[in-house]
Amino acid sequence: MEHMGIEPDRIHYSWISSAESTKFVEVVKEVTEKVRALGPNTHFAKHEAKVA
Amino acid sequence: MTLVKIDKKQWDKGLEALQKAYHLFGPAKEKDYYSFTSLDAGEQPELGFANSRLSPKAILFPQSDTIIEYSLDENDEDHHIMKPVEKDSSPRAVLGIRPCDAKAVTLVNLNFDTSEYQDPYWVKALEATTFVGLACDEPRNTCFCTSTGCGPYNEEGLDVLLIEGGDHYLAKVLTDKGKALTEAAGWDTPAGDAAEIETRKEAAEAKITSTVEMDNLKNQDLMELHGASFWEDVAFACLNCGTCTYTCPTCWCFDLQDEVHGKAGKRMKNWDSCMFPLFTVHTTGHNPRGTKTQRVRQRFMHKLKYFVDKYDKGIMCVGCGRCVSQCPVNIDIRRVCNLMNSYNAAEATCAVNE
Amino acid sequence: MSEYNDKIKEISARLLKECQVDMVIGFRKGSMPMMNEPCFINNAEDTAQLVWDSNCGINLANYLTNRAEKIGIIAKGCDTRNIVTHIIENKISREQLYIIGVPCQGMIDKHKINAMFDGEIQDVAESGQKITVTVDGKANELDKADVLQKNCAVCIHRNPVIFDEMVTDPVEEQKDVDRYEDVRKIEALNPEDKWNFFEELLSPCIRCYACKNACPLCYCPTCFVDESKPQWVGKGQDPTDVRTFHFLRAFHCAGRCTDCGACERACPVGINMRVFTQKLEKDSFEQFGWEAGLTLDVRPPLDTYRPDDPDDFIR
Repeated sequence: MEHMGIEPDRIHYSWISSAESTKFVEVVKEVTEKVRALGPNTHFAKHEAKVA
Repeated sequence: MTLVKIDKKQWDKGLEALQKAYHLFGPAKEKDYYSFTSLDAGEQPELGFANSRLSPKAILFPQSDTIIEYSLDENDEDHHIMKPVEKDSSPRAVLGIRPCDAKAVTLVNLNFDTSEYQDPYWVKALEATTFVGLACDEPRNTCFCTSTGCGPYNEEGLDVLLIEGGDHYLAKVLTDKGKALTEAAGWDTPAGDAAEIETRKEAAEAKITSTVEMDNLKNQDLMELHGASFWEDVAFACLNCGTCTYTCPTCWCFDLQDEVHGKAGKRMKNWDSCMFPLFTVHTTGHNPRGTKTQRVRQRFMHKLKYFVDKYDKGIMCVGCGRCVSQCPVNIDIRRVCNLMNSYNAAEATCAVNE
Repeated sequence: MSEYNDKIKEISARLLKECQVDMVIGFRKGSMPMMNEPCFINNAEDTAQLVWDSNCGINLANYLTNRAEKIGIIAKGCDTRNIVTHIIENKISREQLYIIGVPCQGMIDKHKINAMFDGEIQDVAESGQKITVTVDGKANELDKADVLQKNCAVCIHRNPVIFDEMVTDPVEEQKDVDRYEDVRKIEALNPEDKWNFFEELLSPCIRCYACKNACPLCYCPTCFVDESKPQWVGKGQDPTDVRTFHFLRAFHCAGRCTDCGACERACPVGINMRVFTQKLEKDSFEQFGWEAGLTLDVRPPLDTYRPDDPDDFIR
């Protein structure tokens, strides 16, 4: 995905065990912040059909 | 028919005038090949081309065309109502289409405009279009139009035929649409010499040395051809890609697809290809044309036998040579046509029994 | 090349006469310059049709998928690597095959040669390392090294890796080639430039699928582009759909691609699609030390788990 031109901060992989609730919260926060910083994705999204 | 001489100095001015009355299309060089594209004001069609990579059929029959839109949002007053998409049906003109591609339009028209059914998108686009052809004086090695009932100066499907004359074009005005276009362009200098065109035509035809035999296709027994022994050999190399069908000016098959995003939907008409397994697969999963050989046979049988029998207008091929030159594995319709034309079932069966 | 040709015909005729195989898969002379047509021969007299020259770029392993016959196949280096992959993936069995190995001297790039001349190419002939291209009646001499397919120019496995009989002695392998120069150029771009690079690259695509169909790795009974329940990818010309097709196709070749170049050769519009597969090939090599199709004895990295698999991407 990065190779095609999607910003690296939009893509996250993580391994979180069901016992690691704190890590889960941290990762979600981090992902949200990074994606928010990038703004809305314009690439690799199809434009919706317009309805009259 | 009238004959007009267009001085090349008048050519640009004429195009400028035409831009006002028509949406113009013409050949343009993109990377290493030519394609027919929309011409903006000031853009010239590049008429030095041999032929375009894809045929100009896409101007009338786009590869991917949204034909219907609808809303699935029940708050909308007109939800679940299929609405045709308004198409631009203002006059357009295709400049520099080759005679083979123009004839191809008349063949595709046999399918899209019948006494029973009309494809409104095709019919309206065709009605709006004026075809200004360009005669071929330098055919390619893969051109075999003279033996398909077409030719480098063929006029079928054209409204105007341009003939390159060095510092001028000779324009044969063939129809009322053609007359209207040449008038709008202000091209009105009469030209006298129709005999010269005849000589040029013969010279161009003589340059086409590649031919196919098609005289016997009509007499061939359909089932015997269908069961002929050469199909495995013909089809072996085939990748079942869509190159031949997508580059072909006479291939008319399409697929309907709905795409829904959220609550907005559209229905599209996309080119399809008989080379693809999906082309014939049933909802049950069964595919009546499940093998590569069957699909290759279908393409050639349709073009060179079923069409011949159904319409009695020759073969469904104009000899443009695109499939020959672009096939990734060099399957050559000329060879297949000759095989089909000369097939002798009795001899072939004996050979197997020996 | 005549040495190759004579030997190929001789071996093929012998195999068919002795009924060691039911058919031989090879190339016959095409009707277009720089084109040979893959074909099968099933009797010894017809082996005269078989040819070998620098226009045999289509990968013949593609024609083996799920065949039941006993087959003689004429295979260059990359073809044999795909035969290995086919055997590993159970698309054909080793016992069914008699591999006639051809040490490869590289295939010529028809797109490149076509683009070099304005006029129409009437004939392309070769003699040793020289290629003679006739355009408008005029002969132009080129060095073969300058017009090799891009994958052949950086190939380091020209000799068959698996065979029953070789046509000639092995050729010398190319050394010190920089296989991934093109990929590194893309890797160095910023995301926006990467995006635009691929947008431009894919703009001429007509979705004829010649690339995937020429690829020996693409043998799924129903390709993901044809699936309708669910439909993974739209079937129109929307650039997002076109891109999805190309990237997913490439992903399916990860750790399997031998860089045979058949996809690029088959493309009627000359898209340089090796930039997708080469990236994956490079990653396979750098992360797993893997080159596809060199041996029957090791499972490919993506269908097996090893504790030392790299996992830096997990954050």
